[in-house]
This record gives sequence, C-alpha cells and structure tokens, in this order.
Amino acid sequence: MNKTKIGLILGSVCLILTCAIVMQIRTINQNITVSDLGVVSDELRDEVLKWKEKYDNSYKELEKAEKELEEERTEATKNDETSKTKEEELKKGNAVLGLTDVTGEGIIITLKDNPTVTTETIGALDDISKYIIHQEDLLNLMNELKNAGAEAISINDQRIIPSTAIICSGNITQVNGEKVGAPFIIKAIGKPDELKEALERPGGIIDLLNSYGIVTDIKTSNNLTVLKYDGVIQHKYMKEIK
Amino acid sequence: MIIIVVLIGCILGAIIGMNSPIIPYTYSGYLAIGIMAALDTVFGGIKSIIQKNFDMKVFVSGFFINSITAMFLTYLGSKLNVDVHLAAIVVFVGRIFTDMAIIRRHYIEKWSERKTIAKATAIIKANDKKE
Repeated sequence: MNKTKIGLILGSVCLILTCAIVMQIRTINQNITVSDLGVVSDELRDEVLKWKEKYDNSYKELEKAEKELEEERTEATKNDETSKTKEEELKKGNAVLGLTDVTGEGIIITLKDNPTVTTETIGALDDISKYIIHQEDLLNLMNELKNAGAEAISINDQRIIPSTAIICSGNITQVNGEKVGAPFIIKAIGKPDELKEALERPGGIIDLLNSYGIVTDIKTSNNLTVLKYDGVIQHKYMKEIK
Repeated sequence: MIIIVVLIGCILGAIIGMNSPIIPYTYSGYLAIGIMAALDTVFGGIKSIIQKNFDMKVFVSGFFINSITAMFLTYLGSKLNVDVHLAAIVVFVGRIFTDMAIIRRHYIEKWSERKTIAKATAIIKANDKKE
C-alpha cells in the first residue's frame, strides 16, 4: 500500500471523526436546557426569589399608599354628609368584593389528604388520586358554603372574589393564580350553625370526603378574620350602560 | 506528508460539522457512542503503529464497524431498557487509557534512551579530550 493511499484513508477517517464531534458539540449546545437541567433550575430559582423580593417590597409600598389614601378620604369627607354616605357605600362595596380584611363569626374547615395512604402502603392497582383533595372538592365546598350564606371565604388565605378561579395544576391547586396545597384551611364568615349543618348533612360534602379517608375538621369561631384579596380586579371589556 | 493530510482532514471535518444541520437530541446519544468507538479505534491504530503491526484494513474496518456496532447495541439497549451505552463507554474509555499508557511508555523509553546515549557520548568525548 503506497503512502498517498494511507494518507487519504487517514485523512478521511479524521474528517469523519471531527465532523461527528463538532456536530455532537453543536447539538449538545443547542439542547443545553436538557443536559444542564440542574444548573438552569438553580438559576431560575434565584430569579424567582429575586422577583418575589421585589414583589414583596412593592406590595408593602402599595399597602402604605392605600392607607394614606384612606386617611385622605376620611379627611376629605369629614364635614360633608353626602360624601360621608358615599364613603360608607364604598367601604361596604369593597368588603363585599373582597378588597378589605373582614371579621365576624364563622367556621374554619381544615382538610387533609388521607394520612393512612403512603407510598409504601398503596397497592399497585390503587388509584392515588382517590385519596387526595381535588379542585372539584374545593369547588363543591365553595358552592355549598355560598349556598348556606357565607359572606366571605378564603382558602389558605386566598380570598374568594367574583373572579376567583379554582383550578387543578398538576399535583397542586391554584386559587387566584396562587399555588395552594393540602392541608387546606378554609375560613368562611356567616352564621356558624347554618354553615356547619350545610356541610355536615348526611350525604353532604363532608360525608363524601370522609368516605375517601380525607381528614376533615370544622371549628366554629366568634371572631374570625378573613384577609383581603391581594391582587387588582381589572376590567377591560365590560362597560357601564348609561 | 501524512500529518498534513490528517490536519487538513480535521479542519475540513470541523468546517463541515459547523455548517451541517444539527441532529435531533434523541439521536445525539448514538452519535456520542459512535464517536467514542471511533476514538478508541484511532488510539488503537496509533498503538499498533508503535508496535509495528499496523494494518490499514484492520484499522478502517474497525473504525466503521466498531462505531456501527456500538450505536446498534445502544439502540438495542434502549429498546430492552438496559443501559448498554454505559458498558460500551466503560470498554472504550478503558481501552483508550490502556492504549494511551502503551504509547506513553514507548515515548518515555525512547526519550530516556536518547538521554543516556547523549550522556554516554559526552563522557566518551570528555575522555577522548583528556587523552
């Protein structure tokens, strides 16, 4: 075998090898998110923490500004009878809408996932979703509470307002776009006996949840505080009819 | 001359690789195994050149058939849910290390030999001058 032939073969072998290596490197670089998931998720976590800090700071400022506004308003309406009544109406409206913290008598419901089922005890054929609290259960509970005359409701301190959505998002639930998980602490202001009876009636929601082994606990309270809605209620499309 | 051809091959390969479309991420694992097999063959080739039993046919057939077999085994492993690519990597990298050790020893021996010869000649020369 002469030298040119050897050279050609070696050259083509090197060509193929380097071509393959460069292609591979480019592919891996393109898919860095897949191969370096750990690093990326760390960065994302940092980012989320930063944003949360910013959000908290802005929220504090907003609260301060709202307080000032409130003071200004009371100051302005001090000597005027009509604006005083208007102010009262506004306050009432905000309380009903869920924009102010409200207090009163009511019940506290605590829901916990079935504690007897763990990853060890569950059988291969068992459906795990039978033993946990779903968004449907929360929705049914809300419906039942509203039907029984609850005036203000919150789930894990997320106030239920007219535009609140309770949705399933994987293994957690979202209320007002915020993630909430078990145990769920639901506070409802209303007549305690009526609320309690509505939930505990035979064949009612509590019966159903208990049949799945979900731990439920209802406490009545004379002095219950339901926090206000954190967000801003927006409307873009609806207009008043004049 | 051969070194120049090899260098040209490497540069051309890099340029083609830069301009070629990237392969889907799913298949990049197979390409990686193929690259490891090819690298193993190249090191084996260098080793056989040093041991003076280099055969072009063995080298070229090893280059392609090793790569293809490795890729095929990886594919089979993924179908059977066995991590065959780990075994392939262990074998290839292990062989690369042993080949590298042989190459290293060869050059170290050559180098120390040259050094002792140089020393000996220097001593002989010094003796000549004295006389």
